[in-house]
Amino acid sequence: MHLTSEEERALSGEQGRGRQKAMELLTALGDIFGAERLISIGSAQVSGASFKTIGEAGIRWLEEMSSDARTSVPAMVNPLGLDVRRWRSMGVGEEFHTRQMRIVKAYGAMGLEPVYSCTPYLAGRRPRRGQHVAWAESSATVFANSVVGARTNREGGPSALAAAIVGKTPEYGLHLEENRQPKVAIELRSVDSEMTPLAGFLAGRIAGNRIPMITGRRLSADEHKAFGAAMAATGAVSMYVPDPDGKRDRRQEQEIEERVTLGPDDVIRCSEDLRGADDWDLVAVGCPHCSSRELRSMASRLRRRRPSGDQDVWFCTSRRAFALCPDAIKVLRRFGKVLCDTCMVVSPIEELYGATATNSGKAMVYLPTLGHQRTSFLTTSELLEAISRK
Amino acid sequence: MTGRGIRRGRARGISLVFPTPLSFLGGVDVRTGRISDPECEAEGRSVRGKVLCFPFGRGSTVGSYVIYQLKLDGKAPKAIVNSSAEPIVATGAIMSDIPMVDGVNLSLMRDGDAIAVDGSDGTVDLLDVEERHVVTGILRRRGKILLLQRSDDVGSYQGCWAGISGYIESGEADAEAVRREIEEEVGLKGLRMVRRVEPQSFRHGTVVWTVHPFLFDAGGERIRTDWEHANSAWIKPEELARYDTVPGLGTVVGKLLRRPIP
Repeated sequence: MHLTSEEERALSGEQGRGRQKAMELLTALGDIFGAERLISIGSAQVSGASFKTIGEAGIRWLEEMSSDARTSVPAMVNPLGLDVRRWRSMGVGEEFHTRQMRIVKAYGAMGLEPVYSCTPYLAGRRPRRGQHVAWAESSATVFANSVVGARTNREGGPSALAAAIVGKTPEYGLHLEENRQPKVAIELRSVDSEMTPLAGFLAGRIAGNRIPMITGRRLSADEHKAFGAAMAATGAVSMYVPDPDGKRDRRQEQEIEERVTLGPDDVIRCSEDLRGADDWDLVAVGCPHCSSRELRSMASRLRRRRPSGDQDVWFCTSRRAFALCPDAIKVLRRFGKVLCDTCMVVSPIEELYGATATNSGKAMVYLPTLGHQRTSFLTTSELLEAISRK
Repeated sequence: MTGRGIRRGRARGISLVFPTPLSFLGGVDVRTGRISDPECEAEGRSVRGKVLCFPFGRGSTVGSYVIYQLKLDGKAPKAIVNSSAEPIVATGAIMSDIPMVDGVNLSLMRDGDAIAVDGSDGTVDLLDVEERHVVTGILRRRGKILLLQRSDDVGSYQGCWAGISGYIESGEADAEAVRREIEEEVGLKGLRMVRRVEPQSFRHGTVVWTVHPFLFDAGGERIRTDWEHANSAWIKPEELARYDTVPGLGTVVGKLLRRPIP
């Protein structure tokens, strides 16, 4: 890989140990993936923020880096294992909290913004179309590439941190136009809005590592968020090409090697497969984090109802969305906990619950393994119905 | 051996070599530093202080943190050698300051070798192993190739079948060496060279034989073997498996004829 003299100096350690390590990571990954150079990025989003996922080693690594490394572009962090303000009421223990806060402190010392969310694009850091960024969270990566039109690979935690420090990323993969061409066309035929997470769940399996073109239906921003998160969880691809109006050009058309239709029968069969038992002790929504629009919509449907059932309820969201709709939060709090900075996938949920019902296609992939949960997929309407009565 | 430096720095140690991809998360016990993957032939052995040699990493990206934890606990390998590095192990090596090289031929390494790894230069030296450069000329006539059986008087591989082969002498180009050997061993001169291919290396005991292969068309002339050879035979390439040959002869013939030899 060709390095500028400035980059060579960083690599030589002249600008500090942390920056040197960051450059070592970027150049090694660039070499592995055949990049020719580093390119500047507009922002970074770093995963590996919950003590649950990175453990003691992760704390020590971040503390080591934070001794002298500082970010040089706006950078945000993925969800933590707890709500920084309401961790006690979540049921998270002292020990977990102490360790989690060491991670928060290390990220803060390096200059990362205290935005602990998988939806940085809703938190004031929406990239420009065509802009290069280095984001790590899989659902945010897919949203940035597919909906915003920015360019990012799915970074690992350390490589995203390295990119945040250096302000650059190696130019390979989805940063290059030739690697952003769809290879499979998936038509969504009469898929109901509440079923888009399952459409994404199925689309990821069909796509595998190929970029799909998604036709047949125009998705709202929130539908994109749920669809892409599930697709990135079941598939090994961080981008799709939405084409609701069939405007694809001829060149793209020629690249398509397979066409698949997902109809109502497919998603209904999938929802039956993922339904699970009705014995959940937690209902969790907000994977990815709820937007303020979703919080308001749920609140308006619950406003005239009363809590029902003896399960706990988590509404997971970003601190920014939380701040945008105080009235909705007030309503939702009658039914459960509105949690910021965290979610059901990266919190120590296994110490608190055994079975979770969720409306998230992505959480259906990670809760059984990472969270040791028995899981049930329910649509948002079904979940709201389950936790409330007239 | 020259590969590619992934993480700078130098280290020397004893190798732990296995031919299967390794997932550090789940495949190495972080408390003991021992390999816990039942699919790995090195299961139960410790990576601590070793020069760890395997094809590439696999599995969860949390594997990078496992390497870092091993380093914190003093249970990490001294160096890592891969045939083709991927991001999980490369990231772990850089996080943990472990010298790492990739792009080397793992089949030349044996478990227990003393190895020096230089991640800055991208080199891997097998300290107790000697590399010897030899030429091998394969003569072709009417779809058959010439094999010679090495006599009891030669220095190595007595009784084994080989092509026309010998050491490259100092100051000599390999293309000169092979023509000299052909003249010495079978008495032929001025043969038409069909092609040559990249040198092929084979490990045998403490020697790495780096063979420079050449293919020639032999005319109708009779061949006349010298003291180095007990027998000669023109055989069809697919009959090669029936002969007890020097290491790697099938590979060399396959590369020269551009088809796999069983």
